[in-house]
Amino acid sequence: MVNQQAALDSLFHALADPTRRAVVSRLLKGAAPVKQLSAPFEMGLPAFLKHLSVLEGSGLIHTEKHGRVRTCRVDAERLAAAEGWLSQQRAIWQGRADRLADFVESQTAPEQKS
Amino acid sequence: MSNDDTTLTISRLIAAPPSAVWNAWSVPENLAKWWIPAPIECEVVTLDLRPGGGFVTRMREAGANDFQPHVDGCFLEAIPNERLVFTTVLTEGWQPAEPWLALTAILTFEAQDGGTLYSARVLHKTPEDSAKHDEMGFYEGWGTAIGQLAGLVER
Repeated sequence: MVNQQAALDSLFHALADPTRRAVVSRLLKGAAPVKQLSAPFEMGLPAFLKHLSVLEGSGLIHTEKHGRVRTCRVDAERLAAAEGWLSQQRAIWQGRADRLADFVESQTAPEQKS
Repeated sequence: MSNDDTTLTISRLIAAPPSAVWNAWSVPENLAKWWIPAPIECEVVTLDLRPGGGFVTRMREAGANDFQPHVDGCFLEAIPNERLVFTTVLTEGWQPAEPWLALTAILTFEAQDGGTLYSARVLHKTPEDSAKHDEMGFYEGWGTAIGQLAGLVER
């Protein structure tokens, strides 16, 4: 169960970014090479590749290299796992807890009392 | 009493004392910084930490002019540094309401290992009822984003 939850967390993290959501939307229309995928975005290739690697790490997309062309495709089953309403609510509350922790820890760290 | 289909529990160890975590919850400017994920902007309208006190937050998407409804609820319990309970089934002053997402959230702040074990237990109505929020489709961008993606998958 814990692993399943960790997998869901990585999936929601991957979907939390608008660039990555746009990539997934595009891939739902069919597989595409990296170069074509990156074209609509105003960012350097290294930054775009980081987004792809987050998506790949979450299992939402898979990539395959043929010669010089790397092709990406979406994993629709993984995406379906994010659909349940309770999963969504869990992701929302987990996200809140994470942001709360980041906020509190950034506030207290410089003036930590021992 | 347990209802696995409609209750979720998450917890997180925070490296700061419960008073610091409470401070992040109880000061409107602080709450606004983490309650809703960036780039969506959060406005804390009412944060009246006492039983029957209102809890109202609004959200504004990047580039939008107007704030949209987010949470409109009522605190049921507020024990500084320990426990906070709110519901969306009532609004300020115990006024009954029919929210688009009915929930009661029980938040606890427990001192542990020099930090705080922060837990959220969130109770919902039936899955059928809760599924309505998918149709509303704007909650923090999740409903919209995932709904759109799911729609594309199903085609």
